[in-house]
Amino acid sequence: MKFLHYIIRNALRSPVRSLLTIGSTTMCLALMMMLLSFLSVNDSVATSLRTYNRLIVMSSQGFTQPVPYARVGEIASMKGVKGTSTFSWFGGKYNEEPMPFAQFGVSADKIFTLYDEFNVPPDQVKAFAEDKTGCAIGRKLAEERKLKVGDSVPLKGDAYPLDLTLTIRAIYDGPATRDLRMCFFHWDYLNEELKKVAPNSKMLDNAGVVIVKCESADQMATLTKGIDNQYVNSDTPTRTQSEEAFNRLFTEMFGDLRGMIQNIGLAVVFSLIFVAGNAMAMALRERTTEVAVLKAMGFGRGLVINLIITEAILVTLVGGILGAIGSKFFFDLVDLSKYTAGFLPFFFVPWSTALLGVGASLLIGFLSGIFPAIRAAQLSVVNGLRKVV
Amino acid sequence: MGKPHSIVLQNVNKEYRRDEFVIPVLSDLDLVVDEGEYLALMGPSGSGKTTLLNLIAGLDRATSGAVIVHGQDLGTMSEGQVTRWRADNVGFIFQLYNLIPVLTAFENVELPLLLTHLSKKHRRENVMTALRAVGLDGREDHYPRQLSGGQEQRVAIARAVVTDPYLLVADEPTGDLDRKSAEEILSLLQQLNTEFGKTIVMVTHDPQAAQRASRILHLDKGKLVRDEQQISFPVGVAS
Ligand SMILES: Nc1ncnc2c1ncn2[C@@H]1O[C@H](COP(=O)(O)OP(=O)(O)OP(=O)(O)O)[C@@H](O)[C@H]1O
Ligand SMILES: [Mg+2]
Repeated sequence: MKFLHYIIRNALRSPVRSLLTIGSTTMCLALMMMLLSFLSVNDSVATSLRTYNRLIVMSSQGFTQPVPYARVGEIASMKGVKGTSTFSWFGGKYNEEPMPFAQFGVSADKIFTLYDEFNVPPDQVKAFAEDKTGCAIGRKLAEERKLKVGDSVPLKGDAYPLDLTLTIRAIYDGPATRDLRMCFFHWDYLNEELKKVAPNSKMLDNAGVVIVKCESADQMATLTKGIDNQYVNSDTPTRTQSEEAFNRLFTEMFGDLRGMIQNIGLAVVFSLIFVAGNAMAMALRERTTEVAVLKAMGFGRGLVINLIITEAILVTLVGGILGAIGSKFFFDLVDLSKYTAGFLPFFFVPWSTALLGVGASLLIGFLSGIFPAIRAAQLSVVNGLRKVV
Repeated sequence: MGKPHSIVLQNVNKEYRRDEFVIPVLSDLDLVVDEGEYLALMGPSGSGKTTLLNLIAGLDRATSGAVIVHGQDLGTMSEGQVTRWRADNVGFIFQLYNLIPVLTAFENVELPLLLTHLSKKHRRENVMTALRAVGLDGREDHYPRQLSGGQEQRVAIARAVVTDPYLLVADEPTGDLDRKSAEEILSLLQQLNTEFGKTIVMVTHDPQAAQRASRILHLDKGKLVRDEQQISFPVGVAS
């Protein structure tokens, strides 16, 4: 386009103003990318769990309520069940780290049969099962904390009135969609220690939730109903669902997170339209005479509108590319999932989300430019030249 | 045997309306300008000179009457048509030059050519020819702020003639210049008239400037009060 260099010069006329518009677009889009990617990552994690044929049994009162340990054995003996494990959140503080990483008391002899997508050397599986104070940790956790087999992991109790000192016996690896920052230890050990210090604790004999591995996918629906039916009249009724559904429950914990994030996204887009539109209107007010001169020379309305909208788009597009594509690359380098305490096994900005961000910046540019552009196009040449506008 | 008519105004009225007030600016104006004439418009401030110039240049429309320029009745054309007509037929020169500050001299002159289908190479040739004609070759990469007022006005003239328009309109082109620069600009306009046959309409307050024209028209309160044909050019100017 032969007018491009003129458009670029115009955009650079007031560099501070353009930089401010670019800066706010960049910041807002980076924020939008984070929020949207959070949703899409969470989605793909949940979806990937579908293939493992696992159910989660929790209390019908919610997953923070206890499920009696007896259920672990009872459910294991049901038809179509391959194995079960406790899964109890400990949440101890490691060294001086402010955020606990994910630690779970599990059935140590079963856990890697249930989580068969994890790769662990067989001798390590055995060593973990045999050492009551042993633990198995994920590869990423090991790498980030520079931990290896044989190291000790001291955990300061937070929700529990006790500390645990575990020894690493196994390091598991697995697919990228799975959390490779967990620490599994013997549920028995936790329960015994708790009995010593707080014999009347409500948390005693609490399995947390029960993980159920089904023999095949066909059994999942029947088992989901079967388990809940079995306990519906007990003191502690259960709520059973697929691991995928359970995972999605975590985002629902924050209410309608999806709707909220989408609304924030829209609010961001709208406020950017006003910010960029105001900057553009200001720029054009300073150029009233110039626009009149162009029109006198024979620049038609359509062309004037085009030039101005292109200029507006150019500015927001630079911000959009920096914010959207930039945050994509940024989060490829900086793994945000480290800081989510196991909430997200990984974090990245998918290309589809980044391109959506770039698209949003185009739209913002267009909408911010259209009104000042139309105004400028409608301005009478004679008045523009007289500067009576 | 007269030359073909370049500009014909028949019974032209122009009034501005502000709320219910009607401000008459030009009344019952008749005027015929021949091709290749160099017309100076004079008159007191507010007499309607700029308004008349705007009508002739197709920037504004008459309230009534006909404005026919180069055979085209401007009143019958649509907004878009008039805009295109201006691009092809009219070159503008303003008192305050009105160059685009973020473009170089070259780019300023090239601007009207961007509306044509000329190739980049042909545009460059035309721009350089125009800059040479106004004596500014070698200054093409300078920005307006790096030029003197007289030089800026010469760039503006190059911009006005680069599309080879039929008509040049100039509203007080020397109003902001010192005597010497003004003389240079006036000589340039005269040259464009005599050597390139451009029809020129120039508004001016300066009697000395008006002397350079082939005809001087005096306007007062929206009426033509005097029409002087210059017999010959003053000695020592052009050749
Ligand atoms: N848009 C407008 N609305 C109302 N009145 C206008 C408008 N434009 C011009 N006028 C009036 O029309 C009259 C003629 O204006 P014009 O600019 O043509 O005068 P001029 O002869 O060029 O004056 P000057 O020598 O000061 O440039 C003036 O009284 C002016 O106030
Ligand atoms: Mg005037």
